[in-house]
Amino acid sequence: MSLPTESSTVGTDTPWSELGSLMLPAYAETWAMVGIVMVLVIILGGTMGLALFNTDRRGIFPHAQSHATLSWIVNMGRSLPFLVLMAAIIPFTKWVTGTTIGIWAAVVPMTIAGIPFFARLVQNALNDLPKENLSVGLVTGGSPLQIIGATQIREALPALASAITLNTISMVEYSAIAGTIGAGGIGYLAVTYGYQRFDMNVMIATILALIVTVQIVQFLGDRIARALARP
Amino acid sequence: MIEIRQLHKHYDTAQGRVEVLKGIDLNVESGSITAVVGPSGAGKSTLSHCISLLEKPSSGQILVDGKDLSVLSGKALRAERRAIGTIFQNSALLRRMTVAENVALPLRNLGVIHHEMEHRVAELLARVGLADRANSYPGELSGGQRQRVGIARALALRPRLLLSDEATSGLDPESTAQILELLASLRTDLGLAIILITHEMDVVRHIADRVAQLDGGQIAEYGELRALVANPKSATGSKLLPLRPDLVPAGYDFALTVAYRGNHIDPSWISKLGSEHGATVALLGGSVEAHHEGTLGRVEIGVSGINKERVIEVLDGWGLHATAHSHALGSAAINYETRIEVKV
Ligand SMILES: Nc1ncnc2c1ncn2[C@@H]1O[C@H](COP(=O)(O)OP(=O)(O)O)[C@@H](O)[C@H]1O
Ligand SMILES: [Mg+2]
Repeated sequence: MSLPTESSTVGTDTPWSELGSLMLPAYAETWAMVGIVMVLVIILGGTMGLALFNTDRRGIFPHAQSHATLSWIVNMGRSLPFLVLMAAIIPFTKWVTGTTIGIWAAVVPMTIAGIPFFARLVQNALNDLPKENLSVGLVTGGSPLQIIGATQIREALPALASAITLNTISMVEYSAIAGTIGAGGIGYLAVTYGYQRFDMNVMIATILALIVTVQIVQFLGDRIARALARP
Repeated sequence: MIEIRQLHKHYDTAQGRVEVLKGIDLNVESGSITAVVGPSGAGKSTLSHCISLLEKPSSGQILVDGKDLSVLSGKALRAERRAIGTIFQNSALLRRMTVAENVALPLRNLGVIHHEMEHRVAELLARVGLADRANSYPGELSGGQRQRVGIARALALRPRLLLSDEATSGLDPESTAQILELLASLRTDLGLAIILITHEMDVVRHIADRVAQLDGGQIAEYGELRALVANPKSATGSKLLPLRPDLVPAGYDFALTVAYRGNHIDPSWISKLGSEHGATVALLGGSVEAHHEGTLGRVEIGVSGINKERVIEVLDGWGLHATAHSHALGSAAINYETRIEVKV
């Protein structure tokens, strides 16, 4: 993708015919970021959500103190606006990835913001399950892992699919915000072309791309959740 | 044989210690159904959780064939708890699993190999009369069918004891009858020990062999159902066969509750009291129930023209157990209220 230079002419709209070659690589970058982040968020945030639920009263290992600590950490992660979080952890991002720009530099703050968000969504999904599920898991001789697998994750799958949908949409949004610090993706296009160079066509194309993306993600997410639901 | 010995359970709450179970002793023999009845808050569910090993008793033992399961935890507990099958109030099936998968859950948890599992599940579903619903989801079944799946799941690991906490509450009478019939057949065919925790006296009256009345965390009354009903002094007996007396007519000297059992009940003793002993007898109320071991009955009569000790002696000679009421007759209000109270 071509970077704007000092010599760029302010206010020149990229012709519609060239938008494709400009947008597609950026769009792919956006999805690369969101994809990597969602894998990490589902694994780490999911684990955290399971830990939140299972240390609570209805969990396998109720432990008020551990639960309160976990909950406090999650709240802390959720309390910072993404832009602030992103700026605040730049040293950490640099330490992890060796850089502060590009896809990988965006993945770190997005993952850190996504984990507590997803953890709460998972916790809510599990809280909505019948409270007898734990007893069922125990009296049928389940080990903790079997109980988590059969009576928690599997039973909550439709709600978890919805949680993943919601989280993915948030991450698409965050990736656009990350664009402001040079993360790449269509957010970066919007900032460099649309904002800094008043390129109206890129701006419109970016907005359309985001709208369509969110609609499609939500549509697919709803379809999957419905397919997972049982009578 | 399941023995519960001196079971205590307390909870430490912000308001201090709450003693919920205060020394429960209960023996449940194989091939018999013991009903645990009691008012709300008596500790029935707490007892049920302790027996199903979901909660650790504060002290006491739960012995299955002499082995105390209440002290186990972790892997050992998981291995031994298969001796106890639990049926839940609302069946508590996993909603995203088919009927067959729900029944297979205990087998899968214990690592039973696949083809054996399929065979066993088919056998269990046939046992509860749902062989044709293996691939349905719980949401497609009626409450009674779901509960039968719950029973099949509880039976999967061939338990010694089947524990049911309010398994029929919330079911319509027909489904309740089916469930009870199923439990009764499991008692007989598989020789299971069954503990039936319930607040529904109808359920108890139909299938229980023994009854324990739980009150304030203690067993207030315990015995064979037939003995309790046949004992006119038994409070549990009067709850099992509540009398619905007409208003007591004035002019009778005293009232008696007469209990009897047998395969058929000959009511001629009432007229015989009059013709052979010169008594005047009014039938105030009665209740007769079929039980799997024979008929149970209780009637209440108002009597005059004969003295109380004599009539009890006469009835005793005929194999009928009678007890006199302490309250005075001629006061319909008192009598009626007493009955209402008894029927709780
Ligand atoms: N976890 C608990 N903490 C404190 N008190 C409890 C707890 N569980 C039950 N109790 C108390 O024990 C008593 C008996 O409850 P329960 O066993 O549910 O009775 P039942 O099933 O006979 O209605 C109630 O007074 C209830 O408040
Ligand atoms: Mg209860």
